[in-house]
Amino acid sequence: MSLVPAELVVQDEREAVAEYNSATVERSWYHYVLLAGAILFAAVSVGFVGTIFWSSLPTWLHHAGTLLGGKGWVSPAGPFGGLAMIAGTLETSLIALVLAVIIGLGTSVAIVYLIPKRLRNVVATLVELLAAVPSIVYGLWGLLILAPWMESTVNPWLNKWPFATAIFGSPGKEFGTSLLLASIVLGIMILPTFVAISREVIAVVPQDLIEASLSLGATRWQVIRGVVLPTAKIGLFGATFLALARATGETVAVALVAGGVANAQFHLLYPGTSIAAWIALTFGEAQGNEIAALMALGVLLMLLNFGFSLVSRWMVRRQRLVLERV
Amino acid sequence: MTEIKSGAAVATSADIRGATAMQLRDVAVSFHGRTAVRDCTFDIAKNRVTSLIGPSGSGKTTLLRALNRLHDLTPGAKVSGQILLEGTDIYRGDVTVTELRTRVGMVFQRPNPFPTMSIYDNVVSGLRFNGIKKKALLDEAAETSLRAAALWDSVESRLKVAASNLSGGEQQRLCIARALAMDPEVLLMDEPTSALDPIATLRIEELMTTLKSRVTIIIVTHNMQQAARISDDCAFLLMGEDRAGELIEFDTTEKIFNNPKDSRTLDYTLGRFG
Repeated sequence: MSLVPAELVVQDEREAVAEYNSATVERSWYHYVLLAGAILFAAVSVGFVGTIFWSSLPTWLHHAGTLLGGKGWVSPAGPFGGLAMIAGTLETSLIALVLAVIIGLGTSVAIVYLIPKRLRNVVATLVELLAAVPSIVYGLWGLLILAPWMESTVNPWLNKWPFATAIFGSPGKEFGTSLLLASIVLGIMILPTFVAISREVIAVVPQDLIEASLSLGATRWQVIRGVVLPTAKIGLFGATFLALARATGETVAVALVAGGVANAQFHLLYPGTSIAAWIALTFGEAQGNEIAALMALGVLLMLLNFGFSLVSRWMVRRQRLVLERV
Repeated sequence: MTEIKSGAAVATSADIRGATAMQLRDVAVSFHGRTAVRDCTFDIAKNRVTSLIGPSGSGKTTLLRALNRLHDLTPGAKVSGQILLEGTDIYRGDVTVTELRTRVGMVFQRPNPFPTMSIYDNVVSGLRFNGIKKKALLDEAAETSLRAAALWDSVESRLKVAASNLSGGEQQRLCIARALAMDPEVLLMDEPTSALDPIATLRIEELMTTLKSRVTIIIVTHNMQQAARISDDCAFLLMGEDRAGELIEFDTTEKIFNNPKDSRTLDYTLGRFG
């Protein structure tokens, strides 16, 4: 087992490292301690994923269709339809993502190129501090500060727009907690994640590409639009998918501000729920088949997150390759 | 030209050098108050290759980058003295920085085509930055400048291919074509062959010799043989005792290498230091 990650080793060194790793050095006690730790970790991981799958197996075997497409969730007997949670998760995450990407891209570009160097680190640190705020705090803020304001001001205003009923639901039925509020809170929560990564992706665009475009008579805005963002594109998508993974997995804040109602509908001003929030709100009273159904939702969420994270990592790696070829 | 410091050098060669493209008068560049290069006074003759030579730290690249105002973006950078392009002061005169850079192009040390653009898009990128959208115009400029950079024949059939597929030497010629597409008056080259193999280097050198009929070339090079081979005029810079680079001598390349006025120039060109 190599002690040095393969991608950090250049060809010449590789043989030396292999030799070092395979050398029959005398193995002292800490070798076995570390090895035991690694084996334990592998076992826990396998056991963790395995038991979740195992517990959800009854649902996958007998009610897979209901879980993926069913509309009602009736405790404790069933049926346990997951459509409302799946739709709520995707709906809130995607809206949050759009908000975060639009605001975040501007923030990242500003941090790297527009604000004075001395302020740059301060702003970047502040953004990263926001990422460290526990989600319960965001949830509380959404519930106690944003929700009343949404109900009294924002929702009536939104309902005046054309097609408002189709998008937001019939007026007069607004609630403070809603899918829209969940989307907004989620958007604010994933913003630091997106900015932290997209800032780095933008910052590593090689200086000589920027100078080359300046030397062709490009304005600063043209440099950003025509060279920096296209060069950083794949990495920015990577940042987007990581933010998406964070949004779909977010639990406590959504549980507080989404309304917690398992209605399969898409009207943004109506209460709804997400997979993670629904699990958190429901598991306390669940028994038997309902536990299996919740576990199955958990598996679904896990797969979704695995997928987004894998895509994100793949894209960040591709970005590195693009820059290497410059 | 009597009031300038190295005026003698300018005067001796002025007769054979013809018209002037750029004039440097007491040019100095400093970063946060620390002088990096100073006392640079000489004329860049039109349609000739002028090389800037000198050991590391003598301020060659710093001086070159002052000529198209690339220091503008560096916090704390200050350029003093006068740099005239066709008589216009490029820092204080009636010329915007973007316009200046279309007239004074630049080729960098490392070939730096835009990685997300095709060969074609790279060549016409400067024109697009400057608002030219007509396909016929872009097509024509692309062909003309790729031909001028001796690259047309090898890329004609794959203009839409990513520029990163080209070899290092081809990428550098693409960068030259990209700069030529703007039809600049002056082309700045910052050690353009230092990242290339000898054969690619030779091709770039041949290219410079043919290009000087249409564009004035100023090249920074570490390679003395290169300066002797390709340049017509030569400025020798050296780091002074306070670690600031300064102009030691400016003359025709022939004089700098065979009959310099300053003994330090001779020592350097003979390889006694640097």
